[in-house]
Amino acid sequence: MKEREGKIRLVKVKLKGLKKYFGKVKAVDDISLEINPGEFVVLLGPSGCGKTTLLRCVSGLEVVTTGKVFFDEDDVTYLSPKDRNISMVFQNYAIWPHMTVNNNIGFPLRIKRYSQKEIEKRVNWAAELLGIDNLLDRYPVQLSGGQRQRVAVARAIVMEPKVLLMDEPLSNLDALLRVRMRAEIRKLQENLKVTTIYVTHDQVEAMTMGNRIAVLNQGILQQFGSSEEIYHNPVNTFVAGFIGSPQMNFIEVEIVSQGKELFLKTKGLEVSLLDKYKDKVSKLSGKRKYILGVRPEHIYVSGRAQTDKVAATKGKVYFAELLRSDTVLHLEKEFGFLVVKAPGDLKIKEGKEIEILVDLLRIHLFDKDTGKAIF
Amino acid sequence: MKRQKTPMVLKIKQVITIIIVGLIVIWFLTPLVLITISAFASPSDYYQIDKVIPTHFTLSQFKSLFFELEAWKAILTSIKVAVVTMLLSFVIGLPAGYALSRYIFPGKNFLKLLILATRMFPLMILAIPLLIIFMRMGVSDSIWGTSLAHTAMVLPMIILISSSILSGVSVDYEEAAMIFGLSRIQAFFKITLPLALPGLAASAIFAFIISWNEVFVATILTLTNRTLPAHILKTAMASPDYFKFTGGFIMAIPAMVFIFFVRRHLVTMWGISLK
Repeated sequence: MKEREGKIRLVKVKLKGLKKYFGKVKAVDDISLEINPGEFVVLLGPSGCGKTTLLRCVSGLEVVTTGKVFFDEDDVTYLSPKDRNISMVFQNYAIWPHMTVNNNIGFPLRIKRYSQKEIEKRVNWAAELLGIDNLLDRYPVQLSGGQRQRVAVARAIVMEPKVLLMDEPLSNLDALLRVRMRAEIRKLQENLKVTTIYVTHDQVEAMTMGNRIAVLNQGILQQFGSSEEIYHNPVNTFVAGFIGSPQMNFIEVEIVSQGKELFLKTKGLEVSLLDKYKDKVSKLSGKRKYILGVRPEHIYVSGRAQTDKVAATKGKVYFAELLRSDTVLHLEKEFGFLVVKAPGDLKIKEGKEIEILVDLLRIHLFDKDTGKAIF
Repeated sequence: MKRQKTPMVLKIKQVITIIIVGLIVIWFLTPLVLITISAFASPSDYYQIDKVIPTHFTLSQFKSLFFELEAWKAILTSIKVAVVTMLLSFVIGLPAGYALSRYIFPGKNFLKLLILATRMFPLMILAIPLLIIFMRMGVSDSIWGTSLAHTAMVLPMIILISSSILSGVSVDYEEAAMIFGLSRIQAFFKITLPLALPGLAASAIFAFIISWNEVFVATILTLTNRTLPAHILKTAMASPDYFKFTGGFIMAIPAMVFIFFVRRHLVTMWGISLK
């Protein structure tokens, strides 16, 4: 891959108390974020969570209700999009149908009145980078979806923008192509080192691509952190449930103390707490309700556990999803279904009762009313 | 389960469809054919009662209509009026159509209805007051006066049609242009307008034809600067029948040419995309 020319400008993006209301709908509600220079940040959330609106506020296509947007120390909150020195990749490409690929990619340069020679050089550079240099004379209708997406990305990087914005750029591609483009875009960003904000509702995209992930729900920032933090230490039930597939098991439990030991207990399951969790739990009021969260991949089928710090229980297999790479078991329990992700080579018949082991190190506890994580 | 249709039934259905379509086509085309034939028929053939289809044709009534009755002047006036109407209705109608297609604002639907409602009043009622206002303004019996009146008639259609055409151009194209260095107005002219051009051109010709064909207002508002329909109404109606057909034929030509050229775009004009 060719190195990009000229000096690299890395820009820090800072959002301060950003709000965007559409009438009474709070699309973005008081979001503050600091994105480091050259960082790849993913805005992740279900549809309608405000992630695209937030991106459009950064781009200037949407005027914020209150709050500020900074690029480095420059306040760009009310700057029009054309003056922000940004670029964007749209969900449905938005490459102009009445222009050739060449003109599409070169458009930002021509607007900024670059010399013909410079335009040609940069267009070729971007086209080569995306592997579309043989398509320069074609019109968008003559291109496949994947090729159009590449044109859109080439157009976005040709200007060497301060900030690169991507609005679900891969959601219109088929599954195979999506995986490939995922890797390509990530590599491209690593090479260009341009500060990037990437919107997606796909957690796999978010986990694999972002340096950090901002999880949004109903216009509110839930958690901002690395994929590791978000997976292992979700701050509330929303993040815990949204990240991970199959979804985390949520079980309503009571806190019971017996001598020095503390237990999380419900009918059909009793989980003893390790010492490191005891402090946090002993302070809690016994009157409130709590939710135990445990991911399906952290429940093992008996004999397959890699740790001895486990809580054992039994359950009848109601349904087994044989994915061959894994087997997802749905067990009937007193409190509902318990989902377990077991190895794919496991041969388990539906209707059979099996023993399972809950990993004590990987459990989470949430306050039922607020949804907030206790640990 | 529904009974399957046999090939025989399908065949009969097809034949019936063809017959119905044929009847409709004949219904619409017969007058056109009659007008055309009669327009070129020599007067003696035209008045021969036992000759249904004339055999002798002539251009003499065209000549006298054009030069002795000075239809060429009227044609020129008509073209001027139609062009001014077209331009005026676009200068006003295009921004309005853009606003309707791109923005959501309170009272939008009501406004749309209101635009259509301007066509609710019969011209007969409006014509006399309009004439008086125009006389006071000093634009009666002029190209401008007629154009203004025609613009008022065409405008609702241009607004609604252009809004539907502009809606067919994805906002993303415009927003992408704004991201990559254009203002909203520049983006409109460089991106949206070229993409909407075929449809807009069709609606422009549509405006032209409406103005070209309009006879009532043109007759009332003018005395000397008459447009073609008004002129024909005045002169040809007092002439022999075959002159009327000649006039009718001249009137019909632009509309027919228009339909041939914009057939394809007419569909998109009403907001249905062929894609």
